[in-house]
Amino acid sequence: MSLKPARAYHPYAMLAPTLAVLVLFFLVPLGIAFRNSFFAWDLLTEPEPVGLGNYRALWASGELVAIASRTLGYSVVVVVASLALGLGLALALNREGRLYAFVRGAVFSAYVVSWVAVALLWLWLLDPQAGLVARVTKGLGFTPVDWLGNPSVVLFTLAGVTVWKITGYAMVIFLAGLQDVPRSVLEAAALDGAGPWQRFRRIVWPLLRPTATFVGTTGLILSFQAFDIVRVMTQGGPVRSSTIFVYAIYEQVFVNMRVGRASALTVVFFLLLVGLTGAQWFLWRKSSEGRVAT
Amino acid sequence: MNGTRTSSRRAFALGLGALFATACERPSRPRGEVAFWFSYGGNNRKVLLELVERFHREQTAVRVVPTFQGDYFEGLVKLRTGLFVGAPPTLTHVVGEVVPYLAEAGVLERLDGVGADVTADLEPSLAQRGTFEGGEREPLVALPFNRSTPIAFFNRPLFEQLGLVPPTTWEELRDTARRGASTTALQRWGFECPIDWWFWMALVGQAGGRLVEGGRLTLGGEAGVRALELWQTMVHDDRTMRPPPGRDFNAWEASNGDFLAGRAAMIWTSTAFVKYLEDNASFAVGAAPLPGDVRRAVPTGGTFFVMPKGLPAHERDAGLAFLRWMMQPEQASEWARRTGYMPVSMRGRQALEDEGFFRAHPNFRVAVEQLAVADTWPWSPELFRVQREAVQPRLEAAVAERRSARAVLAEALAAVEAR
Repeated sequence: MSLKPARAYHPYAMLAPTLAVLVLFFLVPLGIAFRNSFFAWDLLTEPEPVGLGNYRALWASGELVAIASRTLGYSVVVVVASLALGLGLALALNREGRLYAFVRGAVFSAYVVSWVAVALLWLWLLDPQAGLVARVTKGLGFTPVDWLGNPSVVLFTLAGVTVWKITGYAMVIFLAGLQDVPRSVLEAAALDGAGPWQRFRRIVWPLLRPTATFVGTTGLILSFQAFDIVRVMTQGGPVRSSTIFVYAIYEQVFVNMRVGRASALTVVFFLLLVGLTGAQWFLWRKSSEGRVAT
Repeated sequence: MNGTRTSSRRAFALGLGALFATACERPSRPRGEVAFWFSYGGNNRKVLLELVERFHREQTAVRVVPTFQGDYFEGLVKLRTGLFVGAPPTLTHVVGEVVPYLAEAGVLERLDGVGADVTADLEPSLAQRGTFEGGEREPLVALPFNRSTPIAFFNRPLFEQLGLVPPTTWEELRDTARRGASTTALQRWGFECPIDWWFWMALVGQAGGRLVEGGRLTLGGEAGVRALELWQTMVHDDRTMRPPPGRDFNAWEASNGDFLAGRAAMIWTSTAFVKYLEDNASFAVGAAPLPGDVRRAVPTGGTFFVMPKGLPAHERDAGLAFLRWMMQPEQASEWARRTGYMPVSMRGRQALEDEGFFRAHPNFRVAVEQLAVADTWPWSPELFRVQREAVQPRLEAAVAERRSARAVLAEALAAVEAR
């Protein structure tokens, strides 16, 4: 059977629908955002060219750095915690039996619930006066923490809720990865006297590394796209301490009516995400090559 | 064969082009149809939709199609998007601060066509002419709809039990909040108020300031500082006031929620919530005017009906017919009676008075009487940006982090000048 197409344009014709969607709904809007980032525009009056003015204003006000730092901080917590918890749960629950199946299902169930529902649930749980968490804390004799009202805590709270929601997803991907670890190799290692930690470190983890990269990358993208949870739980506050990228973009358009600044933020956001994903991919490739060489 | 393929490709391209052209064309509404974008939830939406239904029962020439468009600010963005793509609604309603901005951008239709008898009957302090400084000199582009002022709500049985009366001065406000607070079992705050521009403006007015003084934006000067410092003192020193979490209407909802749950003895919020709070509280709700400092003052709030410019004549006329109907005393008084907003028609207000409504429901009277001390807003296209970008985000930081009120307001002024 030949894989050569009957006509030269066939592969392009097959790709065309996907490419058209990609161009229409991704590249064109990105191009428009890039162009708009050089204008001051409120959607009502004529756009006014301002050159790099939008970027300068965001930089000079400290807004850009603050938003990027917050987003990165939030992402680091989300990616690291969901990776660690997902892996831990996958290792602990990679067993047969109804109880394990039930727990796996229970952990994963949070992932299928909508972000808005999750945000509302946690809003109630974390209410500093009437919430379950505050009541339990009070019952134990501690002073309740204002999880959503304290500027130095709120970002961790949002990251915690995100981790709670997406850990089930990370666990399922790791469980799939664990299926590819040859049982015979693990048994041979055990016969050679390798303990559980050594088996994990020398066999399981190296084989799970591509899975971990995938989970890390999707977690990073997902955490950078966080919006609903911020919109419902904090509206970027208190004192802007939970204003992360997508919410800041929304705020510039929907609250401040500044299309140019929102576009400038979008461009920076895109470049940052491309850079981070590229760096992650590069590090993974480098570590894979290193492993092969040794 | 090749010719067939070429012609089918051409047909496909033409079809696609036609599809795009149709999608981009301004939707032509049937004669007599009014697209009305609104921003209400809950009881207010119910009342509005029932009024629209009644309008339909009373006549058949005009059909109003109401569409919910999110909160005021989401609605505003959708209006601007609609204007940009050439598909605006026939009618919508926008917050007062936005009216000069839209008017100066030249996108609003004149509404004189609603009839001189209607405009003459509008409550002056609530109409364009009395809401904005110099509003009478501008073309009439906004008709009042749901208009409000901030008022105080208090837990009546609790106040009686503690021997408290609604405060009339700032000193009394602090004292009442102190005595109304409780730290036993269930924490109860003495006072709660969203850290919002609207309430800060009330305090600025009470401290004797104005947003614009001598034609120059001052944010109230010393009065603005004192207004912010009052909140800071009550939150941090007295520890009797809770700044509710969340921004914009989320903070308002949090205040209402705390009040209804008995976690706040007294709150400041809009008169728009009179009906809601009375219906949902498990205790008798009292309402009172805001206290004064060097003088009594409140800003007005709520929204105005506006109509985008450039609509086909038949659509504009249909929209005006609906507006004319909504401004009539019967509708104005029904809207006020069933929501808590103020009647925008003087005859409508008189009708409520005559039928004994205000006697039977004194909480509804508070905002109406408070209109006597209502401050005007400057007619400035910058007003909206001053509110949303310069002041509002800084108020929260000033209270939560107890930053110097003077420095925060100086920063806000600098931000206005730098834009």
